[in-house]
Amino acid sequence: MKELNPLLHSQLRLAVMSILMNVEEADFVYLKEKTESTAGNLSVQIDKLTTAGYITAEKGFVGKKTRTVCRITEQGRTAFEEYVEALKDYLNLQ
Amino acid sequence: MEEKRITERESLEIITSMIARTKERYVGDGNILLMWGYVTVAVAVLVWIMLVVTRNPAWNWLWFLNGIIGGIATPIMARKQDVSFGVKSYSDKVTSHIWSTVGITAIVATLCCLAFQLVLHICCWRTMLVFALVIVPFAEVAQGIVVKETSLIAGGAVGLCAGIITICSIVGGVPLNVNWFMPMFIIAFICMMIVPGHIINRKNKAQR
Repeated sequence: MKELNPLLHSQLRLAVMSILMNVEEADFVYLKEKTESTAGNLSVQIDKLTTAGYITAEKGFVGKKTRTVCRITEQGRTAFEEYVEALKDYLNLQ
Repeated sequence: MEEKRITERESLEIITSMIARTKERYVGDGNILLMWGYVTVAVAVLVWIMLVVTRNPAWNWLWFLNGIIGGIATPIMARKQDVSFGVKSYSDKVTSHIWSTVGITAIVATLCCLAFQLVLHICCWRTMLVFALVIVPFAEVAQGIVVKETSLIAGGAVGLCAGIITICSIVGGVPLNVNWFMPMFIIAFICMMIVPGHIINRKNKAQR
């Protein structure tokens, strides 16, 4: 049985990836609201996903405030699809 | 949500739950539509009044106000809308590209008409009326289909009807007299932009 990707097999990182699989882009505030997480924790997990090359996080400014916009990469999309396939095996869904 | 170990079943629940949470469909706010609607109607009324009062066709240059005001305000309002919603879906991307194409076509059409006027001394500004009443409503119907918003489809259909009447009149040699054409143009833009803009804003207010 294929092992589940440890980077995705975590509550918050999986939630972020699930959202980004479904939209073109989402900003930090939207992700925080939808995942019901704290800013600090979300920031750490976004950094991990960015370092792995699964998402991109583009920092910009709106007036004087910073705005971080996240997008999933092709590599992230593939990793997520493989994770879901492996999950199906574990849960005997195929 | 915290960072903790999860079971396979919990993973599936997280994925399902996040898909459900991002399913909320926002058409965008209706403010850009309203801005274009009110500016176009105001400029059309102004041109209409000046043409009737002065009988000087030079007042038609006022139509440029429409492109200048709308062209400046649209990117500012679109940026504000992106920040306000915090998310961009695939349908947002499609509609954004549709309207960008309409904008580029408008610039090219204007430059062509201007070149015909200045170089060949041929007045073909009626092309812009066809543009406003065929290309714009067509884009609106397309947006309505993509985002499943009936008011955009219905408003666009009214605009297209006005566009077909305009084309038939031009081809058939019927003069586009201000007394019938301007009211039709204004009604078309009220149906195409102002009515759907208010409906979309009301829906978003209720949804939020």
